[in-house]
Amino acid sequence: MNDIIFIIINGITVASIYGLIAVAVSITWSALGLLNLSYGFIFSFAGYGAWLAERYLYGEPIFVMFMGIAAGIVGGVMVCLLVFIPVHDKPNFTIRGMIGTLAISLIGGQILLQNFGPKAKLLPEFFGYGKIKILDVTLTADKIGIICSSIVMLVIVVRWMKSSRRGLEIRAMMMNPHAASIVGIGVRKTGIYVMAVTGAMTGLSAVLLSQTYYLSPFSGLTPMIKGVSIALMGGLGSVRGAVIAAIILGFNEALTSKFLGGRYVLMTQFLLIIIVLIIRPRGIAGILDKAREA
Amino acid sequence: MSNILEIKGLSAGYGPLRVIHDLDLIIQSGERVGIVGLNGHGKTTLFYAIAGLTHWQRGSIRIGGKEIGRTRSQGPGRYTHIVVKEGLAIMPQGDEIFHGLTVEEHLDSGAFTPESWKNRKQKREEILEIFEPLKKLIHTPVGRLSGGERRMVSIGRGMMSEAKLYMADEPTLGLAPKIGKGVLEALLKIDLKDSAMIIAEQNVALLEGKVDRIIGMHAGKLKGEASSSLSMGLKN
Repeated sequence: MNDIIFIIINGITVASIYGLIAVAVSITWSALGLLNLSYGFIFSFAGYGAWLAERYLYGEPIFVMFMGIAAGIVGGVMVCLLVFIPVHDKPNFTIRGMIGTLAISLIGGQILLQNFGPKAKLLPEFFGYGKIKILDVTLTADKIGIICSSIVMLVIVVRWMKSSRRGLEIRAMMMNPHAASIVGIGVRKTGIYVMAVTGAMTGLSAVLLSQTYYLSPFSGLTPMIKGVSIALMGGLGSVRGAVIAAIILGFNEALTSKFLGGRYVLMTQFLLIIIVLIIRPRGIAGILDKAREA
Repeated sequence: MSNILEIKGLSAGYGPLRVIHDLDLIIQSGERVGIVGLNGHGKTTLFYAIAGLTHWQRGSIRIGGKEIGRTRSQGPGRYTHIVVKEGLAIMPQGDEIFHGLTVEEHLDSGAFTPESWKNRKQKREEILEIFEPLKKLIHTPVGRLSGGERRMVSIGRGMMSEAKLYMADEPTLGLAPKIGKGVLEALLKIDLKDSAMIIAEQNVALLEGKVDRIIGMHAGKLKGEASSSLSMGLKN
């Protein structure tokens, strides 16, 4: 019993961190048509932003966390200005955008390596070392904090997209870019909003993961690969699909590392993704979508 | 009476194809103009050229005195949102809708000026008065509506903001005659005040006597013009 709850908690913790990146990948893909592979860089950039803030400004965990999110926003807008705006109306935009953002991930990583060195950095534990015991199960403050802050972030983003005018514009562009321009929605301006919001989500996942493990110039690559594959399984472009896929893959990761060992995680993960995509080529979103395609 | 739309020497097209040939058109405020022509003679392209959605164009287009024409289009749609904000309300042909948004959100998306965004609730009420059937569908995703209902939504979206120029592209296309007539009547109900409206249609009979002018369009040029009462006279 204890084991099962332990696995569930672990699964949700992993899911909430990667889920943030997956949702970010999904939103960027469907709103801008950009498969953004620069989240690895934005991730490390946000982590180092938080680290610098902690070191030179003020060490309060909440402050460090918000600085990480702010650095994520800056990173996202930077990628938007460097890649999305110059190439978004050129032919072969999808491929160019993918290569451009991948280049930013690699070049950015090298620049971070040059400036901060290869030694891993540590962020303070944001949520302290407290423990709660509920029915024989110990929950660490760390895990509860990660799950809660991710959920809060996701809820804020989804509510913002549902209720604000910018959110409406982003959703309109996700569904029909041509009609969106007809009602006066500008691609470039919306692009900046999208990248800022998704940058904030990546920033949060960066500080959450870095405070559990460590921070290095390329520590963003694995979360990005996982985020992209979760987004793929969720059916690129659907927020709900990405969230469900993140939960499934989170449990898979927790189960695999418990029963088979950590080194098999990527194997089972991709097997699962392939199986889902064979059965449902449009990913999980294909099951959820109620609206008739135009 | 001021000129809402002034087009001089407009040519536009896609790639090597030239669809519109040196076209001149002046539309004054308060006017309702019908443009009639067969499929493939450039009605939609004319609208797209005004909105900056063609691949290339040259010539002068002025909306309310402001030049929006460009000698060379830098990618279709790049400046459309700027042009639209000059006061264009486009009710496009076919299914240019956001299939996952509800009817309510869809109407809101048409309110692109800050002012109309503030008054969007009241505007929505007005539009629902015109399109009664949408009232009970207000929270349904547009992707689940029928063709006629979708067209109502798409026209309603165009009516959400105070535009200088309303452009309706074949509002009755693909609809059952009765529904098509209803949609067209709703369009004619819009109170123009100082603005103007262009309606493209293939069916002259639908517009006769209801618009101020009817212009024929053939092979990318405007040909022949009749005040709509004159064409009525000919028929009698």
